[in-house]
Amino acid sequence: MGTSVQVTPLSGVFNENPLSYLVSIDGFNFLIDCGWNDHFDPSLLQPLSKVASTIDAVLLSHPDTLHLGALPYAMKQLGLSAPVFSTEPVYRLGLLTMYDQYLSRRQVSEFDLFTLDDIDSAFQSVTRLTYSQNYHLSGEGIVVAPHVAGHLLGGTVWKITKDGEDVIYAVDYNRRKEKHLNGTVLESFVRPAVLITDAYNALHNQPPRQQREMFQDAISKTLRAGGNVLLPVDSAGRVLELLLILEDYWAEHSLNYPIYFLTYVSSSTIDYVKSFLEWMGDSITKSFETSRDNAFLLKHVTLLINKSELDNAPDGPKLVLASMASLEAGFSHDIFVEWASDVKNLVLFTERGQFGTLARMLQADPPPKAVKVTMSRRVPLVGEELIAYEEEQTRLKKEEALKASLVKEEESKASLGPDNNLSGDPMVIDANNANASADVVEPHGGRYRDILIDGFVPPSTSVAPMFPFYENNSEWDDFGEVINPDDYIIKDEDMDQAAMHIGGDDGKLDEGSASLILDAKPSKVVSNELTVQVKCLLIFIDYEGRADGRSIKTILSHVAPLKLVLVHGSAEATEHLKQHCLKHVCPHVYTPQIEETIDVTSDLCAYKVQLSEKLMSNVLFKKLGDYEIAWVDAEVGKTENGMLSLLPISTPAPPHKSVLVGDLKMADLKPFLSSKGIQVEFAGGALRCGEYVTIRKVGPAGQKGGGSGTQQIVIEGPLCEDYYKIRAYLYSQFYLL
Amino acid sequence: MASTGQPPSLKRRDVPVSREGDQLTIIPLGAGNEVGRSCVYMSYKGKTILFDCGIHPAYSGMAALPYFDEIDPSAIDVLLITHFHLDHAASLPYFLEKTTFSGRVFMTHATKAIYKLLLTDYVKVSKVSVEDMLFDEQDINRSMDRIEVLDFHQTVEVNGIKFWCYTAGHVLGAAMFMVDIAGVRVLYTGDYSREEDRHLRAAELPQFSPDICIIESTYGVQLHQPRNIRERRFTDVIHSTISQGGRVLIPAYALGRAQELLLILDEYWSNHPEFHNIPIYYASPLAKKCMAVYQTYILSMNERIRNQFANSNPFKFKHISPLNSIDDLSDVGPSVVMASPGGLQSGLSRQLFDIWCSDKKNACVIPGYIVEGTLAKTIISEPKEVTLMNGLTAPLNMQVHYISFSAHADYAQTSTFLKELMPPNIILVHGESHEMGRLKTKLMTELADCNTKIITPKNCQSVEMYFNSEKMAKTIGRLAEKMPEVGETVSGILVKTGFTYQIMAPDDLHIFSQLSTANITQRITIPYSGAFGVMKYRLEQIYESVESSTDEESGVPTLQVHDRVTLKQDSEKHISMCWTSDPISDMVSDSVVALVLNINQEVPKLVVESEAIKSEEESGKKAEKVIHALLVSLFGDVQLGENGKLVINVDGNVAHLDKQSGDVESENEGLKEKVKAAFKRIQSAVKPIPLSAS
Repeated sequence: MGTSVQVTPLSGVFNENPLSYLVSIDGFNFLIDCGWNDHFDPSLLQPLSKVASTIDAVLLSHPDTLHLGALPYAMKQLGLSAPVFSTEPVYRLGLLTMYDQYLSRRQVSEFDLFTLDDIDSAFQSVTRLTYSQNYHLSGEGIVVAPHVAGHLLGGTVWKITKDGEDVIYAVDYNRRKEKHLNGTVLESFVRPAVLITDAYNALHNQPPRQQREMFQDAISKTLRAGGNVLLPVDSAGRVLELLLILEDYWAEHSLNYPIYFLTYVSSSTIDYVKSFLEWMGDSITKSFETSRDNAFLLKHVTLLINKSELDNAPDGPKLVLASMASLEAGFSHDIFVEWASDVKNLVLFTERGQFGTLARMLQADPPPKAVKVTMSRRVPLVGEELIAYEEEQTRLKKEEALKASLVKEEESKASLGPDNNLSGDPMVIDANNANASADVVEPHGGRYRDILIDGFVPPSTSVAPMFPFYENNSEWDDFGEVINPDDYIIKDEDMDQAAMHIGGDDGKLDEGSASLILDAKPSKVVSNELTVQVKCLLIFIDYEGRADGRSIKTILSHVAPLKLVLVHGSAEATEHLKQHCLKHVCPHVYTPQIEETIDVTSDLCAYKVQLSEKLMSNVLFKKLGDYEIAWVDAEVGKTENGMLSLLPISTPAPPHKSVLVGDLKMADLKPFLSSKGIQVEFAGGALRCGEYVTIRKVGPAGQKGGGSGTQQIVIEGPLCEDYYKIRAYLYSQFYLL
Repeated sequence: MASTGQPPSLKRRDVPVSREGDQLTIIPLGAGNEVGRSCVYMSYKGKTILFDCGIHPAYSGMAALPYFDEIDPSAIDVLLITHFHLDHAASLPYFLEKTTFSGRVFMTHATKAIYKLLLTDYVKVSKVSVEDMLFDEQDINRSMDRIEVLDFHQTVEVNGIKFWCYTAGHVLGAAMFMVDIAGVRVLYTGDYSREEDRHLRAAELPQFSPDICIIESTYGVQLHQPRNIRERRFTDVIHSTISQGGRVLIPAYALGRAQELLLILDEYWSNHPEFHNIPIYYASPLAKKCMAVYQTYILSMNERIRNQFANSNPFKFKHISPLNSIDDLSDVGPSVVMASPGGLQSGLSRQLFDIWCSDKKNACVIPGYIVEGTLAKTIISEPKEVTLMNGLTAPLNMQVHYISFSAHADYAQTSTFLKELMPPNIILVHGESHEMGRLKTKLMTELADCNTKIITPKNCQSVEMYFNSEKMAKTIGRLAEKMPEVGETVSGILVKTGFTYQIMAPDDLHIFSQLSTANITQRITIPYSGAFGVMKYRLEQIYESVESSTDEESGVPTLQVHDRVTLKQDSEKHISMCWTSDPISDMVSDSVVALVLNINQEVPKLVVESEAIKSEEESGKKAEKVIHALLVSLFGDVQLGENGKLVINVDGNVAHLDKQSGDVESENEGLKEKVKAAFKRIQSAVKPIPLSAS
């Protein structure tokens, strides 16, 4: 019997929630993807928490939050402890994405679901594989292999093989070759036992190539008109493609508007990406091999890791790529709030926002006139916080190469004052002194001068066009005072140094905040809600780099799995694709609900036999493409060690119905016949050959999996020489067994 | 083929006559009992692989090539290049552009990037006459388009040959290839080192044990000093020479070990501020170009260097300056110059050697393996005099030190590697014959209890082995619904892809493969104006089974011959005939057509009924006669013996054949089998075609 395969979705079916699926193969539990979304709602992980401890291996497919965001949390809180497998870029860029997420969150909230340490330790257990590497899981007889998926750098289609049966997991793949990525190789897998794929894009059809022009036109128009362009992007995924497109466009048109790439990890991201050429598309590798031009030595893009650098940038039109794509947090959120109210500006979305996020709201048609946003910021910076931070810093230094650059950036942040200060240590939180911070907010008020608030324009002299609101998160009271005394003792010097930095470097600080810093009070988050008039231009151009509905269908009918499981995609999209596949791909399409376990064990019967030498010496193979086929009649015997073996048959072979093997395409037959000097034309769905003979294909066409799968061909004609000639040509298209 | 010197008993497993396909042949076309021009040919089951494609650095022109004449380049499926060194990759442009080779070439990313730079440089530097040039820059550029890249551990399949590579540790991008053809695995190590150094990883230990391991034996039974001692010696020599005001020449290949030495020198200078005014020159513009490659493919290097990258680029040397030509060198005081080539054959290293060799303050440090036949090899034995490039002789006074940094495995590494892998067959290549011989002897004693074969073929000497591979097939689908018992028959389509076999029912073909099956229905109209009944009558005379019925739709009478061919009266003047194509039905239909045409021609024909009926007896006798006649034609002397048996006598061997049962009795097994088979065939020919075949 076949290998037993069960699939249990833990998240991300019939909606666009993060992806997370439990696939168990003969009792070995794979968790494929471990995603979270930008809301970081622990309730989403409820199903995962129930099974986390039973998981034997985790496979990650893409380096973004939706595919691996929950990994640190699950490792720390849910008892997930299995080895993780991913490609090198998924590991590295995933790590950076999580850093960016954490730092962005930490900046605006008391984010405590996981820490940088948790991220590190979660990613420590990752085994890195290369594409097409067959990794044998010891003792299980299971082989896992990542294959090119496209979409994101290192993006993976997972192939899990046991006893010659393939289970393929392919979500968010891209068929098209892009600037920095090759298209997926999914199509090279034929007839896997199970295919798990997404319906996310089933209803979307990508506009053709002209979208690129639209994209570039929109940008250059805005810039020429003196406006700024904001591209909310992910931390280390699709942004790479956008950067290359912009680089090329800038070079081609010799534009000199500045491009800024602003995430907490932008410089590390690009540094690492530069050494990932092996994972990129052919054109990039080729150009490096011949001219040693690394495509990611960006000439027009400035990498920023901190918003004040952007604020200090010279005035004038500029293009900023900032994370997060959802606009829920991160630099993009802040910049959006600043820029939204200016009609000259453009916010250009390149991917559909996650459900329920600000980006998604703005992508509605028509876009909202005004949106309510919560502006939160971390307010400084008090002594022990600083110490804790310094602690963090020294610890980080020890850990990883990448971290060094991160730390540097934070250091600069620390010295640049309250605006961007962040705390690295969640233990040092104090909301007690919320009142004291009233003064702190004021100096930053100036940043909102452009923002229109509910119908009134604040005069330019006004310090803060906002109604301060202080979050009274009393649940933190107990923790606020908990401070490790060691922090004070060991790092005295560091603290002095850092304090001096702050005092010395930050000329912008006014008395109030300076004193606050020296006051040695812990930091907290200050939030206020404001309504932003959306006057800027909002455009959505699809640069998600996912296969669109049409190519999904083409690929699926090509791959033609024996059983198909559809996940991730809105209910309509899932249903639509299911109906399509039932009709054209295969009769076994499953759309499980969350926590519903479906059994996709193949009902294939199979047994192994040994082919005896005697039998094989009599078999004459006929070659047909990659295949060699022959008809065998054999008698079953047993070898010494109990294996079944096939021996030559001792009685005359029973006659068998002859089989014609071959795939006849009418379109191919026509030129073939005409090359043989026969007049051919298509008439009424049939091929007319010569004067009288017609060849027709009848019966349902297209479906590969279901039905009989046998082509029915009819040849008709009167008794004449031509008839036999044409029949002979027709036969020549097949192999007779 | 030069010789087939190896005893044919190698791994021949009690199958006396192996089929040709089971023979695995390995021929070193170069690097057999020598170092240089690595090129190993391997063929098994009709698949052919070439490992490496180098030149011999001590020769020039065609003489430097491996013995390509021994093989048919067009038959090679895959060519695998382990690393970029000239003795492993430099005949590739020649092989790709000037021979009939049409297979695919693979190497790692880093190898490909450096390969181009290195060979372009080689073409420029080598001072040979135009006709001796094996290839030019154009050939190299063209070859780039044909080279495909693969990553470490990535499994690639070409024509059923599966292969993947492991880190070899020798230079950046160096790989060991594991090839799997029909379950037989061959590991080709190329040059490898199991020792981690400043920037490279140690060679990996493959996950699976190969059936054959083709392994380098450069250092034979020598043992390397520990790395720190070698580094110490190296820096000490330089330190003392410079302190005495001498110059240090380090002849090294431009890429590979040179980078390691530069890392050592740069670090040493950083730690010794007193040397900061002593220049270190690195005379290789090529190496400068390759830095981008070194900076990019950090994934192929070890953790140590990858961690350093995070802070600053360790390949941006602080104390080392490039030197383009000898004219740029202001040779006034102590200095350290690293120059290529490593063998002092020509070029900058030779020019400097000629100038510096007679001063005893100077030193020459030879940091790596040197090939037989080069000047560097000569000066290691410290002769009194050397011949300069201009033909004059000069005294050799400079100190010559040989401190090997070459990342080749030494005996300790080789023997542990082999002990862990435990390959049943070892083939030694890439080593001077005496070193190889000693290594073989030592390995033989060490691996004595493991029944390991160690072979040291010379160039063009082929090694043949037999692998009796078991062919396993998987029966799937409808055919496998029930496990068959012993003695039952299994009939189905055997589908072979690569080296995997599947047996399936024809109806399942489209499910388990991309092949599809077809039915061809034929409908033919024949002019016939006679009565339908006449036709039926005539058909019944010929065919055993003719059934008449009426067509449900049109109500016209139809006839069905043997359930295969349906005849229908379409109109007064035509009948139509319809059947599904297969050989028997086609034959039946042809005869029906002939019959119908025949009726047309001679419609008024009287039929004598009695003629049509033949007695059973008569036909039986006829069959017997036919059988007898055919047996005579096959065996000559056939007589009717007692109780109806036929006595067949061939050269004194007698067989008795029972015509009824088909049993044969004979002393001679061979004859018995033959008679049996012949009789079976004759019987099936004489008997009417069985009708149950649908």
